[in-house]
Formats: sequence, structure tokens, C-alpha cells
Amino acid sequence: MPDFEVVVVGAGPAGSIAALSLARLGHSVCLLERGPFPGSKNVYGGVIYGRILDELIPHWWEHAPVQRWITRRGTMLLTDHQSLCIDYRSTAWAQAPYNGATAYRPDFDKWLADEAVKAGATLVSSTTATGLVRTNRGLVGGVKTDREGDLMANVVIACDGVNSFLAKEAGLYPNFSKDHLTLGVKEVLALPRQEIEARFGIRSGTNEGADLEIVGGTQGIAGGGFVYTNLDTISIGAVLSLGGLSASKVRPEEVIAGLKAHPSLAPLVDGAELKEYSAHLIPEGGFDAMPEVVGDGLLVAGDAAGLCLAAGLWLEGVNYAIGSGKCAADAVHEAIAKGNFSKAGLVSYKDRLEATFVLRNHRKTRKAAHLLLSDRLQNRYPQIACDLLEQLYTVEDPLPKRGALTIGRALWKGSGLRIRHALRDGRDALKIYG
Amino acid sequence: MTDISRRESVLAFDDRMATVDFRISHTAHITVDSEVCRSCTTRACLVACPAKLFVTTNDGGILFNYEQCFECGTCYAVCNNEGAITWNYPEGGHGVVFRHG
Amino acid sequence: MKIAACIKWVALRPDIDPLSGSVETDDRFSGVSAADQAAVEWALRMGEAWGASVTVATVGASIAESALRDALACGATTAIRIDIEHPLPSAAVGRELAAALADADLIVCGDWSLDRGSGSVPPFLAHARGAEQACGLVALSLDATGVVRAERRLDGGRRERLIVRAPAVLAVEGSTARLRRAPLGGVLSSARSSIDVRTPSTPNPAEPVRLVHARPFRPRTKIVDGPHGSVRDRSNALLGMGSTRTPPQRLVLDPEVAAEHILAALHAWGEIDDPASAEGQ
Ligand SMILES: Cc1cc2nc3c(=O)[nH]c(=O)nc-3n(C[C@H](O)[C@H](O)[C@H](O)COP(=O)(O)OP(=O)(O)OC[C@H]3O[C@@H](n4cnc5c(N)ncnc54)[C@H](O)[C@@H]3O)c2cc1C
Ligand code: SF4
Ligand code: SF4
Repeated sequence: MPDFEVVVVGAGPAGSIAALSLARLGHSVCLLERGPFPGSKNVYGGVIYGRILDELIPHWWEHAPVQRWITRRGTMLLTDHQSLCIDYRSTAWAQAPYNGATAYRPDFDKWLADEAVKAGATLVSSTTATGLVRTNRGLVGGVKTDREGDLMANVVIACDGVNSFLAKEAGLYPNFSKDHLTLGVKEVLALPRQEIEARFGIRSGTNEGADLEIVGGTQGIAGGGFVYTNLDTISIGAVLSLGGLSASKVRPEEVIAGLKAHPSLAPLVDGAELKEYSAHLIPEGGFDAMPEVVGDGLLVAGDAAGLCLAAGLWLEGVNYAIGSGKCAADAVHEAIAKGNFSKAGLVSYKDRLEATFVLRNHRKTRKAAHLLLSDRLQNRYPQIACDLLEQLYTVEDPLPKRGALTIGRALWKGSGLRIRHALRDGRDALKIYG
Repeated sequence: MTDISRRESVLAFDDRMATVDFRISHTAHITVDSEVCRSCTTRACLVACPAKLFVTTNDGGILFNYEQCFECGTCYAVCNNEGAITWNYPEGGHGVVFRHG
Repeated sequence: MKIAACIKWVALRPDIDPLSGSVETDDRFSGVSAADQAAVEWALRMGEAWGASVTVATVGASIAESALRDALACGATTAIRIDIEHPLPSAAVGRELAAALADADLIVCGDWSLDRGSGSVPPFLAHARGAEQACGLVALSLDATGVVRAERRLDGGRRERLIVRAPAVLAVEGSTARLRRAPLGGVLSSARSSIDVRTPSTPNPAEPVRLVHARPFRPRTKIVDGPHGSVRDRSNALLGMGSTRTPPQRLVLDPEVAAEHILAALHAWGEIDDPASAEGQ
């Protein structure tokens, strides 16, 4: 007799939503978390896109522990001394139902897990799942924990994050590799509220906020950066490919220091006091690096399933975690009704993912990681774009003005890049963003 | 390293780590076999570990401290030497506790 | 035989505003001190060794119940919370605990709590119960039922060995034991256990000493003399410039003669009394 119908491992967004949905469907579910409270182990950049929550937790924006509502989004290209920023602002995002919000994960994840508990899930924290328990028919029938006694269930949903030891133990992650991972390092810096609003051009006295995604500026390591505003802190960080990082001489915190010292970012963070330094891995391999997500008695969701979208314009994972957690819960609900917990009984999970934004977006952006981490996108194109603007904006009287095309052609020649590569990159970019 | 990041390193690494809360377990969750490391040519962990927990010893081995670990997994992902790192999560309830993650 | 342990819910990592001095606490970063955890562990060991029931008790707000549940998960039999939101003076806490644990034979407390703890609750509790007390314990071992051999540290590095017999109150340091890890079954069942919540026996215990007003700490002005002499003289004096000194000598002597030389030199420098007169005494 199992202790619960379902055990969900990991109280991140994927796990909490899986547990919440199952509890609402009337199932007994245990939500296992290794940290002292949900969110205590979790780090991200800082913006949650909550549209997917609308149905699950109506009016979530009135209850979620939000820092600021994003009303300004910038995508920034950096070279050593130049920067180019596409800066979009909208006051429409300052009203319900909003678009993105900054929040601290120890607050947000705890809130979401509390919602699951309210729905009837049993939260067990300070407990690490150390392995899978198999029934005599070979199905996963529970987890071993670092406490005396195993936790038995009909189905296990592994929402245990990027390192998912459970998916690996089940043999679902044969091609787990550092090439599909990036390291996120982050500093949270304190500044007075009004100062943040002034520096980021946010209407003062509001809880509106800004979000900057950065390409380049990572000292030769393929990756990117981000800057987000919280109520009285700024989150600034770098995302670094593990391959590039381990081959480099620059340490992660030095990359952040480089970003903070860049002439176009320094004025934003100047004089701010470090409140917390943190680090976490990101599964950036995209669609092609995903593990198997269905096993016998086991489903994998969220970061554990590699469902994180890191594609320059976008750095999103929480919404995919929530989406996949919901799909997993629905698939398990169906399996319980049929009484079939084998792979065949759970396979509707895959179809559900395919039918929603979760896998559709990942399929569409499958080339993103490769494109974004390429040298051309990391260094060469930003350089050309910045130089082009520099020459266009520089007034060189009495010399006659040169047109953008002339400048562009000269820069392209000087760069040694091939048209053929640029065409391919253009085609890929169109597939991803088009 | 650029000049600027060198200037920044004025913030001593210890002060940086002092901003993070750790509930230290009495047993190590990660162990490193210094003997295996002796033959390592990449030494990727030295530069990649965001908490700077790996240091070289005079005799070419590796000294590792588990206490102030982010539990991120970078070290075992970048290490190519089978058996150098034994990696587990710390006992539930212990280890890093983020406040602003 | 009935054993009890007393614990207190405290902020483990309070945030202090450097300007206002106000203290911010966060339930996620709160819990019980290592000493209180050791107290629970000793109570459980006594319960196991002597076949006794173990009650854990706390005076505090409802959030403290999570600490009581942790103790239940580890094997405590019952849990009592005396429902008081605001901090009480130690004497009142001692009285409340004594009333709630009137039938306990041995009561184990942590030596002091982390938040400004003065370690005075255990003595007040012992007084209110009319029981013996053994505080500041750094080592314990269990003897026959209801008998504990303990060691405590005294001033000046001295130690004292005690034999404590029930009824008594023991206060242990955090180093004496580490609280066991609760089994999974315990964790699951403790989430459903009921906690005996009691209203305080004296609803508004009068505070014997009440703080009426306090001024912020301001050290007294100290008058320090300014430096004498010109800057040049002072720096010369610091560097030892212009002062006469005997150049170092290199002597090759027999040990006995050398010793005399050394003594004479030390005397000349004013380091020791005249060696000749010392010899005479
Ligand atoms: C630097 C950085 C920036 C990011 N920026 C953004 C952003 O701005 N917006 C966005 O939407 N996403 C962002 N992401 C991605 C996002 O954080 C993740 O995709 C998301 O957290 C995935 O949620 P999850 O529930 O799958 O996993 P996690 O949030 O990782 O949760 C996993 C949980 O499982 C627990 N756990 C793990 N193993 C065990 C075990 N064995 N036993 C018990 N419990 C266990 C962990 O403690 C954790 O609570 C960012 C990520 C990083 C690293
Ligand atoms: S831990 Fe791995 S990467 Fe680091 S020195 Fe040892 S073998 Fe090399
Ligand atoms: S898990 Fe991360 S922080 Fe811990 S030792 Fe490895 S690389 Fe360093």
C-alpha cells in the first residue's frame, strides 16, 4: 500500500503546480523538497511570466509576492566600449493581467508551494530524494530519501531541477552533458527605491520595473547577461556556457564585475551594496538536448526535462516549468483513472506537452542555443552593428556623409565574415523569432 | 581579466561569500579525490566553481572545502576525470539557503 | 517516569537595520537553537533509556508549532504550546512552563536561547517547580532511571561533576548532543499530530522591572592631549634619528664570562636589577 498516489520531487514551480493540480483533482500527493523551505535552493534571473497562472490561480497577481511589474524591456548588445539597446516601454504592462514580474524565488516558490498545500498536498521539506524505488514489476514505485524509510507512491513526478539525478538514475538522460548547460551567476545589489526608479527611468513611486537582456560583455565566454529591478535591489548577472567558462581564465564573479564596470551599465549599479551572491545551472540545450520525459511509473517536468528557454530575447523557465507540471498532473490523473502507471499508461504526458506552448515553443526555437552561443552572434554581429551606428552618428564635417549601405559594406568586408554564414544565421533566426 | 574587473576584486571573495547563508551539515556532500586530480590537465574546476572552493596544493593536488557550496553542479559537469568528484546533495535542510535567489 | 524538554522559537538570522536599529525577523530563517535541539535529544534519550514519555513544550506564537512538530517527528510523545504572542520576562516563562509541566520528573532545557538569552529560564522554572537545578551542563550520561551524571564548567576553567536525581531541571549546552534526524514516518505523522495549545495561567504577568526610557548609547567624551614638539622632532623621535646609541659589539668569550656580560648589559639597559646585589641576597 503506497503512502500516496503520487510523489512529486522538488517544490520548484514545476513540482508545486503538479502537486497543486493533482490535489485539486482529489488525489493524495506528497511534495518533497530538499531545502528547509521551498525556494531556498533556487536561483534565477528574475522575471516570471504569469500568463500560464491565470487559469490555475485566478487573480494570482493580487496574491503573488511580486517585487515590480515589468514595463520596460531592453535587449542590449555590448562590445568593449559600445552598446546598442532596443528599448521598449509599455504602460499597458503596468495593469492587470500584467506581463512579467520580478520576484525572489525563495518568496515566489514558497507562495506557490503554500498554494499546493492549501489545495491539499502534503509538503515534506528538509528531505532529499536519494534514489528511485522499483516495484517487483520494474515500475518506479517511490523514492528513497535521506531519512529512515522510503516514500512509496503509484507514480513519481521528477521536478528536481537541472541536475535531475532521478531522471539520470532512470536512464532517461543518456546525453546529459556540459555542452547543454550554462552557469548563471548573479549579484543582488541594494539601492534605495527612488534611486532605482531614477536610474532606470521608471515612473517614481510606482512598482513598475525594467528588464535588460544582454548579448556580449562576457569577456570572450559564450553567454550573456541580465539586469532586473526589484523593489529596492537590482539583480545583475551573467549566463556562461560551461565549455567556454572552463576553457577560460576568467572566473564567474569577474564576468559580473566586467558587466558592472561596462560604461553603459556602471551608472546603473554604481555604489550599490552587495546583498547576495548566487549561482545555478541552466539547461540551455533546448529541444534537441531534452531527455526522455516518460518512464515506467515516472514523469519528468520543468528544468529536469530541460524545458528552459534561453534564447537571447527570452530567458524563460518558470512558465515552462509550470506548464509542464500541469501537463504531468493531467497525464497522471488519466493514468490513475485507467489504473495503468507504466510508460504506456503515462504517455499522454508527451502529447499534452506537444499540444501546448511548452513543446511548441521549444520545437520552434530548437536552433536557438546553437545560434546564440556562436562566435558570430556573440561577438561579430554586435561589433558590426555597433560600429555601423557609431559611424552613422559620428559627424565628420567637412567630409561628406556616407550612407548606411556604404558603411555597412565596408564593415562587412573588414570583418571577414561570409555571406553564406550570415544567410544561414538569418534563416535560423527567422525560424526562431520569425 | 580587464582592468576594471581587477579593480572590482577589491571586494574580497570572503566578503562576497559572507552575503550567503549556509546551514552547514556535519558531513561533506562533495568529496574530491586529490590523487585523481594530479593527472588533470584542464583544472576546469578552479576557474568554473562560482564559490571558489577548489584550490591547488603545493604538491599538485586539489584541496576542496564543501562548506560554502551553492550545490550548483558546475564542478562535476566540467570535470572530465572519472572518479575525481563524488557529488551528492547535502542532507535535507542543510547547505545553502538563498534569500534573494 | 515523565520527561520534558523546553524549546524556544527564535530568529536565527535577524536582519538589523543599520540606521533605525530595528530588527527584522523572517519565519523562514527562524527555528530553535543548537542548545534547545540538544535538550530535545537528551529528553528523547532519557525516554528511550528509561521507558518514559517525552513532552516538548514552548511558550510562544503559533509559528513555534513547526519546531514542536519537528520534535514529535523525532519521537517525542506529546507537545504543548503556551499561547503567548509577545516576549515575556524569564520569570513568567519559568512559571508558565512549570504550570504546564507540573507532572514532569526531569525537564531538560537549552542552556540559553539565541535572542538575548540570559540562561535564566531554567533556574526560574526549577524555582517555580520547587525542583533542583543543574545548569550549564557540558557533558551528560544516563544512569539508573531518573539519575543523570553530568559535568558543568565553572569559572576559571574548573569543572564540576554532578549526580542529578529527579525531580530536577537540567540546562544543557548545544555541544552535548546533536538532534537525531527524524524518520520519514515520523515527519509524515507529526504533520497530522495535534498540539496541546494552552492559554497562559496568568494572562498578563506583571513585569517586575519595566524599562521606561532608554537613551541610545553615547560614549563619554575623553580628553586626549595634543602632541608636543614640532613635527620634525616627533618624527625624528619615532625613527630614532639623532639619538645616540652604542654600536653593536661582537665578542668571543667563555660561557661564564659571556653570561656576566649579558647580565651586565641587561642591567645597563634597565631590564634587570643589579646582578651583583641579587647574588648577595
Ligand atoms: C541565472 C538564471 C536566470 C534565469 N532567469 C529566468 C527568468 O528570468 N525567468 C524565468 O522564467 N526563468 C529563468 N530561469 C530559469 C528558471 O529558473 C528555471 O527554468 C525554473 O526554476 C525551473 O523550475 P523547476 O521547478 O523545473 O526547477 P527548480 O526551480 O530548479 O526546482 C527544483 C526543486 O527541486 C528540489 N530538488 C532537487 N533535487 C531534489 C531531491 N533529490 N530531493 C528533493 N528535492 C529536490 C530543489 O531544491 C528545487 O526546489 C533562470 C535560471 C537561472 C539559473
Ligand atoms: S576536480 Fe576534475 S577538473 Fe578539477 S582538478 Fe580534479 S580532475 Fe581536474
Ligand atoms: S556544486 Fe557548484 S559551488 Fe559547489 S563545489 Fe561544485 S561548482 Fe562549486
